[in-house]
Amino acid sequence: MTDTPQLGLERRFDAPRARGWRTWTDPALLHRWYGPGCETTIHSFDLRPGGTWRNEMTMRGMRDLSVMTFQDVVAEERLVFVQSSADAEWAAIANPMMPDWPQQVLTTVTFADEGDKTLLTLVWEPFEATPAETAAFAEMVGKMGGGWQGGFAIIDEILAELQAV
Amino acid sequence: MKESPKALNEVFGALADPTRRAILRRLAEGEASVTEIAAPFDMSQPAISRHLKVLEKAGLVERDVDQQQRPARLKAQPLADAVGWLTGFEAFWTESFGQLDKLLEELKASEKDQRHD
Repeated sequence: MTDTPQLGLERRFDAPRARGWRTWTDPALLHRWYGPGCETTIHSFDLRPGGTWRNEMTMRGMRDLSVMTFQDVVAEERLVFVQSSADAEWAAIANPMMPDWPQQVLTTVTFADEGDKTLLTLVWEPFEATPAETAAFAEMVGKMGGGWQGGFAIIDEILAELQAV
Repeated sequence: MKESPKALNEVFGALADPTRRAILRRLAEGEASVTEIAAPFDMSQPAISRHLKVLEKAGLVERDVDQQQRPARLKAQPLADAVGWLTGFEAFWTESFGQLDKLLEELKASEKDQRHD
């Protein structure tokens, strides 16, 4: 189990844990921040183990549907869900960009007190993945962890230069 | 979004090398011949040509077939797709969390208002 590749990040928020939890579990708040610079619509949100969250994001005419199934819900502490890309009928599908990407990614979000702030940790790992999916995920984690940022910055520069022309 | 997964893997492979990223940077300024591209590098022209071939195969660069110098030119779409793909992870959360920060500020302010009423 220990060799499951994981991708994680930590983030501190200037808010007590209860408020942080609310922003993740009240769809009226969740849709306001979830998704980078896009219009997010939450079509259903059933916060209990086995319940689903159907999420739509639109940006520049592009539409992205995903379906999350909650595995574990511990109020103000832990939120665990399995995430998949979805088709128009909300059925889980392979990632349109990379069929080898795990069709299901397990996301674990934990909330911890840090003084009057909240430390949030977010971990992704492949869920019920085939060996090929696990390998694809491990490869990407390696690339992102291994000095990829430098290259990423250069790509950004190149694209900015191109847009300036 | 039409990029096939194999192509995307090739794009990442091509971008993983610092010399190839430097070549792309040079080509972002405009098309160039192998001689021109090789000039700033401490590297032989055949070595630069090999890097160009990798970039060409990944669809990041195109070269004129009929001209003697075969000038190379940057193709931006696969780059944009690669950035879009990566953006799906780190930037997704970084940007979302920035939005969450703002929302938490608002919530904090509105809770204070209620207490003062």
